[in-house]
Amino acid sequence: MNAPLSPLIHLVDDDEAVRAALSLLIGTVGLRVQAWAEPQAFIAGFDRNSIGAIVLDVRMPGVSGLTVLQQLVEQGVDQPVIMLTGHGTVDMCRRAFKSGAAEFLEKPVNDDALLEALQNAVRQHVRSRERQQANHVARERYTQLSPREREVLGLIISGLTNKEIGRALDLSPRTVETHRASVFAKLGAESLADLIRRYAAIVESGEA
Amino acid sequence: MPPCKNAGMLKLIKAHRLGILAWVVLCAVGSAVLGRLELAQTRDAFETDARIVHRLLSQRAVQHDAILATLALLQAGADNARPEQRLPAVYPQILTVRRRDRDAAWDEPRFAAADIQSRTAKRAVLADTDFANGRYWVVLHADTSYAMQIDMRSLVQWSEWPMRVESNPARVTLEAAGQYFVLQAGAPGAKVWRFDFSKHLAADSQPFEVVAVRHVGWAELPWGWMLGWIALVTAVMAGLVAAQGQRVARRRAEELLRFGQVARLNTLGELAAGMAHEVNQPLTAMLANTQAASRLLAESPPDIDTARGAMTQAVQQAQRAAEVVARLRRSVEMPNLASQLRPLDLQAAVRNALYLLEPQLRNCGVDPLMRPAGEISVLADPVAVDQIIHNLLMNAVQALEEVPRAERKLTLTLEADKGQGVLTVRDSGPGIAAEVLPRIFEPFFTTRRGGLGLGLSLCETLATSMHGTLSAANAPEHGAAFTLRLPLARQP
Repeated sequence: MNAPLSPLIHLVDDDEAVRAALSLLIGTVGLRVQAWAEPQAFIAGFDRNSIGAIVLDVRMPGVSGLTVLQQLVEQGVDQPVIMLTGHGTVDMCRRAFKSGAAEFLEKPVNDDALLEALQNAVRQHVRSRERQQANHVARERYTQLSPREREVLGLIISGLTNKEIGRALDLSPRTVETHRASVFAKLGAESLADLIRRYAAIVESGEA
Repeated sequence: MPPCKNAGMLKLIKAHRLGILAWVVLCAVGSAVLGRLELAQTRDAFETDARIVHRLLSQRAVQHDAILATLALLQAGADNARPEQRLPAVYPQILTVRRRDRDAAWDEPRFAAADIQSRTAKRAVLADTDFANGRYWVVLHADTSYAMQIDMRSLVQWSEWPMRVESNPARVTLEAAGQYFVLQAGAPGAKVWRFDFSKHLAADSQPFEVVAVRHVGWAELPWGWMLGWIALVTAVMAGLVAAQGQRVARRRAEELLRFGQVARLNTLGELAAGMAHEVNQPLTAMLANTQAASRLLAESPPDIDTARGAMTQAVQQAQRAAEVVARLRRSVEMPNLASQLRPLDLQAAVRNALYLLEPQLRNCGVDPLMRPAGEISVLADPVAVDQIIHNLLMNAVQALEEVPRAERKLTLTLEADKGQGVLTVRDSGPGIAAEVLPRIFEPFFTTRRGGLGLGLSLCETLATSMHGTLSAANAPEHGAAFTLRLPLARQP
């Protein structure tokens, strides 16, 4: 996966002046902006792999911002969504957060509030992508293990010693030691703690 | 009846079927009770009459026994005296008296037989009964026996008879051994109900039965009372239906009024939301542009060209916002009231507003005190005046709700002053705070939660556009006073 150089913000608002002004403002902190006038065109066309966030106006002709938000969540889009509204009611705010909005801001929006929200959202997205990436790598390495090595790994993560593993699998401690070294090498783990942190979840989901 | 009318009738009956059922039941039960009462009364009267008749006849029969007994006692000394011959003159019912002297024999076998019977029974007995002719004989055995012939027609002294013989519908007869004698013919008629009375005379010598029969027909039921009852039930139920109809109509009117108020509020809410969006978009763009510009200028070196572009954008957006506001004002601009002014009675307008607000005033426990000043004719627009008075009264009610019930007073004063009709609405509520008073007619200024702050502002605008004024002050004691001044229709 090739992460772009700088994060990309998708701005969806039907008002041209608002789009232009907000794009300019967001650009002052070095974020790239792609502005969309049509919610449907945005949903159909935006790059889902890009790192960044989405700024969505609640009140747009044709389709409500809340509906767009729900569609994004249903399609598994992981970019954080910041909602903008002209007259936010408590009810609308509640619905937005329930639907998975990361932030809810009132128009006219203050630059500090918007930019801070965007930077938080971007950081959050980057972290979540990194986690995904690490997970992806770990999964690939895990598939390279032999069945016996996977058994040994499961018992190591359960906290058993080599002796106990040998008894459980009816192997000599020496053989267990060989498997153990092979597991550490294949998975690229530097310590037992590292092994457990990165692979416990995969082992559990793999065995379930 | 044409079918549609028929259907309408059916619908009417269906809608009121419970009422109609209740009406039928009430009428039927009431009439039945009245009928039963009348029948019971008739029976009581009949039985009383029959008992009196029985007593009168029994007295006569006993009298006959006594007379015979007296004759039997008198016979001893008197040889030639014939006291019995004087009896018919004294007693009208005694036709003739016959005697059998001591040791003599009766010349007629019917007396002889009765004599023997009397001796055995030791009392007088009947010798011969001829009810067809209204006669009978009574015989008493003694040394000298007597026989007495009674005329049944004279048996009764008609002045003592409890009924009017000619017209009373009851039939009264004396009956014995299959014969009967009619004392009172009665009236034949429809035989729906029948009362009977039958009792033996209280004298063994004359074992007759007094039989009275009374027939009652439909015609004798208390139709007048029954019809009266039905009319009463109908009138009461019609009254109830009318009262309910009025209540329903009233409630509907109140609903309509409230609905109108809600609809107006909704319209205002929509307007406000639309306005917020329309103004918010340029404001958002302006804010973003100016803030972006200030950030660009703060960079080193400052990006002056881009900042200038952003400022140009901001200016354009400010102009756009101003246009939105101007368009909004044009679209909700007040119609020119000054051209619609016409004379109207301020007092009638106040009364109308009070009538419309009666439920609210009643709920609040306020009885408005109106100081009338006769007709005050002002030049105004009727709808606008109604709206102003309505608003002032609603405000007063809301103010009064903040003080205890006992202290709630609402006074309306009407007067003509310096060419103006003046209406003052004074409440005994908490009054207007000093810092609020100068701003009270400002649009969107409100002290009420959820209030739009447009009511008084609108009222003042309306009053001004009718060449009048609306002012607010605190009353000397406590509470607020609003004064509406409108030019009089005819200047004095």
